[in-house]
Amino acid sequence: MIKALQQITIRRDLRLRQVKVMLAAVMIAVTTVATINLFAGHLQQTLMQTASSFLAADRQLIARSSQPIAEPLQQTARNMGLKTSKISQFSTMLTAGGAFQLTSVKAVDSAYPLRGQIEWQANLQAPREILQQGPAPGEIWLNPRLLRLLEMTIGEQVTVGEAQLTVSGLLLREPDSSFDLSAFAPHAMMHFADVAATNVIQPGSRVRHKLLLAGDENLLADFENSVQPEIDSGGHRWRDARDGDNLGESLNKAESFLLLGGSLAVLLAVVAIAVASRQYALQQRDTVALLKTLGLTSRAIRRLYATRLLVWGLLSTLAGLLIAVPFAWFLSAMTAQLMAQPLTFSLQLWTLWPTLLTALLVLFAFALPPVDRLRTTPAMQVLRSLPQLDRGFLAKDLVFSGLLVFGLLWLFAGALKLVLSLLAGLSVLLVVLLLFGWLFVSSVRSFKGGSTAWRSAIVALHRHKRATLSQLAVFAMTMMLAATLVLVRSSLLADWQAQLPEGAPNHFLVNIAPETVDDVDEFLSNEQLQRSPLYPMVRGRLTEINNQPAKQVALNPDDDELRRELNLTAALSYPDDNKIITGQWFTEDETEGLSIEQSLAESLGIKLGDKLSFTAGSDVFSGKVTSIRSVQWDSMQPNFYIMFPKNGALKDLPATYLSSFYLDPADKSVLNNFVRQFPTVSVLEIDHVIERIQDIIQQVTQAVEAILLLILLAALSVMVAVVSATMSERLREGALLRTLGAQQKLLVKATMLEFALIGLVAGILGVLAAEAAVWALQYRMFAGEFRWHWPVLLILPLISSILLALLGRWQLRPVLTVSPMLLLKRLE
Amino acid sequence: MTITRPINNANDCMINIQSVNHVVTPGGQPLQILQDVTMQIQRGQSAAIVGRSGSGKTTLLGLMAGLDVPSSGAIYLDGEQINCLSEDERARLRAARVGFVFQSFQLLPSLTALENVLLPLELAGMVDARDKAIDLLQQVGLALRTHHTPRQLSGGEQQRVAIARAFAVTPRVLFADEPTGNLDSQTGADITDLLMKLNKQQGTTLVMVTHDDQLAARCDRQFHIDAGRVQSQ
Repeated sequence: MIKALQQITIRRDLRLRQVKVMLAAVMIAVTTVATINLFAGHLQQTLMQTASSFLAADRQLIARSSQPIAEPLQQTARNMGLKTSKISQFSTMLTAGGAFQLTSVKAVDSAYPLRGQIEWQANLQAPREILQQGPAPGEIWLNPRLLRLLEMTIGEQVTVGEAQLTVSGLLLREPDSSFDLSAFAPHAMMHFADVAATNVIQPGSRVRHKLLLAGDENLLADFENSVQPEIDSGGHRWRDARDGDNLGESLNKAESFLLLGGSLAVLLAVVAIAVASRQYALQQRDTVALLKTLGLTSRAIRRLYATRLLVWGLLSTLAGLLIAVPFAWFLSAMTAQLMAQPLTFSLQLWTLWPTLLTALLVLFAFALPPVDRLRTTPAMQVLRSLPQLDRGFLAKDLVFSGLLVFGLLWLFAGALKLVLSLLAGLSVLLVVLLLFGWLFVSSVRSFKGGSTAWRSAIVALHRHKRATLSQLAVFAMTMMLAATLVLVRSSLLADWQAQLPEGAPNHFLVNIAPETVDDVDEFLSNEQLQRSPLYPMVRGRLTEINNQPAKQVALNPDDDELRRELNLTAALSYPDDNKIITGQWFTEDETEGLSIEQSLAESLGIKLGDKLSFTAGSDVFSGKVTSIRSVQWDSMQPNFYIMFPKNGALKDLPATYLSSFYLDPADKSVLNNFVRQFPTVSVLEIDHVIERIQDIIQQVTQAVEAILLLILLAALSVMVAVVSATMSERLREGALLRTLGAQQKLLVKATMLEFALIGLVAGILGVLAAEAAVWALQYRMFAGEFRWHWPVLLILPLISSILLALLGRWQLRPVLTVSPMLLLKRLE
Repeated sequence: MTITRPINNANDCMINIQSVNHVVTPGGQPLQILQDVTMQIQRGQSAAIVGRSGSGKTTLLGLMAGLDVPSSGAIYLDGEQINCLSEDERARLRAARVGFVFQSFQLLPSLTALENVLLPLELAGMVDARDKAIDLLQQVGLALRTHHTPRQLSGGEQQRVAIARAFAVTPRVLFADEPTGNLDSQTGADITDLLMKLNKQQGTTLVMVTHDDQLAARCDRQFHIDAGRVQSQ
């Protein structure tokens, strides 16, 4: 019956400003959610792959004792369809000719590495090659330093235990090279099949067996469940990619940020949709009254408008997806290139359900209610304009949409606490905003003087009190959300940058003998390298707490740190990035004390004043806890669980020294000089580790920026929606004023001034609110420190002011380009 | 659709109003708009309702057409007691038997002239709606402007489109609210001629609210309304 009308209006009403704004907002919401969904999925996968290559696998099952991993375990994994690889790590003496060297050896099977690659060189002059396999049986690869220490050349034979292996290449980098300082010995890699022949592994020898696993995440989870009893019995422990501190944290923070940003974009879009749809409904009242007069029932009217919204919603959802998919693909391609990894972007329809749900909810919860109430428009409206009827529904709408927003945010951000505090924050903000806004609107009359334009702007602000107030509230909220994200983004980035500042140490020197300490110190000083102090290091085991066996009295007796040797040091002052949490750092003549790292103290239940006893070799020594420190483990600086005073318990113990320094990649020759001069000192090159972390940070940064762009678009759509909401009245007034002889210039100036003022106040309120929000977020979510962001505090209100003035000017175009007569006629 | 209600008046009575009072309460203060109005308009007659601004003319027209219901009293339209019908029942009745012409034309701005005329025809489910709409536009002298939107038409042309729309479904009764109020006198006279011509052609009952004494004089009957009270002349 009304099909023709339906088809025509669906097409033609698209031209209406309110409809355009509404659909743009739906599109933005859809684009944001879909992009985040698709890209976060890709990011997660890529990051996990990168992180996995740090393990050379997706998971490592590590035997806690020197017993090999039980064969049935590996068989189970293989039967489940997982890829497996066995490796054993041990230290042994390598001999060649007259030279011998204690070496850390990794024996790998033919499947190694399951993830990541090995960097290899055929000889010292050959180019670097990327390999997917370890050495063949009968062969061994040495790291260049070991080759020099053994004074060998490629192709010669080296003795490992009772076996003779041929040196067939140089091992430059392996995916799971640890930067644990205990692995300082020179390094070699051989085939697993040769281990038995070496006869190195005897009952009681120190060896670490690992089972590497890779495969589908679900299979891995199944396997984990099936071997859980084994794990629980204490024989093994897991390591997965998220265990890496740097990566795990960056990843989690980035994910939180993306989700938070996505939720806020949706929230902004929702505001725009609600405002625009109210405007559309207002504009349609006359049409509905006429249709009723022509005999359309309210049911037919409801169907007419619901269908219209549905079609529009589908179209804008589709458009949003059409933008989001290539956008997400582009981001993914960019990151894949950055990470030098194959692009793994795949579009799976089921991953889009949150997007479709969002589209459906924002349409039907926010666009539909005002439009649906159109059917209650009295037919008498056709004869005379009647007061609006939907005032009473506002509260109902607010409650309803509040609940939905909550649900949506919960869906995206996941964390209930975060969502609740966000919404609570927004409610408080709204009340505060209205209060300040009311104060502003009420006091604005007293801003005396100024030009005619200024005076008419002030008068207009005062006259449209309600409109001014609601605009102020919406703009301030928008500004706050946008500012929050800008601030969170920059402090997130600053946080990451601070972890790995330019010139963070990328080389470690370990195993420096006491007699060469002064020479090494002189060398580093002469080369003018950025470096840490030289720390003496003693490896010792914590055996007693307050004269009781540590394993019995510790709060957490299974703590790994009780099983292994800890790095102990003595120093005059603590590293710059450490902080004393409780107690006092040593005075210069302190001899009895010690300082312990916070998390270890908490795990073992150690408090100030406790006496800790250690054994190192045959030496036994102890000290009293005089301070507890926090340590930035991810800062790449030398760090220690336990620090003693300079003249404390470690004073007379045999120690080796360690230091770290930053070496510009261009100055690698310095390293060669160093190695030549101090052949016994181990140099750990961790520059590649740092590079990778920086890559990941950069990748995440790009994602964050892309999402930020979408959020700013959403904010802009809110502004356009709200400004255009008040425009029809402004146009009428403008036309009238022009008819009465007002100059165009004056109108433009007054309108721009009016919006600029609203923008300025909204910007100031918004940015202050954002600071509060960032403070709360930083504190709870991103665990950073609060500081004022002066540039943003100053710039944002200005930007907001200018942006709104321009928006007002732009929306005012018809008043200036059309003759007042025509305009008045059109507006009737 | 059949609506079965008691018909208590002679068949030749199109509009029968019995003791109608209408009170509105804008801002809480009760305001009596119509006071004990009783009047009849016969089929095929043309009637003018005249009176000063705010005298209640438009309200009376709206009540007759079933756009609103009175506070008390009874209104019969084409034999149906419309003050007892629900809003949707009144809408269906309007769709089948009532046409409207407004002072401000009330064309849908997003539709062309042809589409505006088509609207009631399609609502009524007419089969040859399009031909009929073109025919009607020809009758009102707009054969060449069928694809123009209201914005591209002058006031007089817009009102012609509105008249074509009103007569499209051959209504039994046509209500006109100041149909010439927004037009200059020459155009107003043309529009009046057109209205009268179609009224005679189709045998429609015409009820018109107007300020225009000349226009009122051309109607069969005049009702004068003053402070909510109606006097027949």
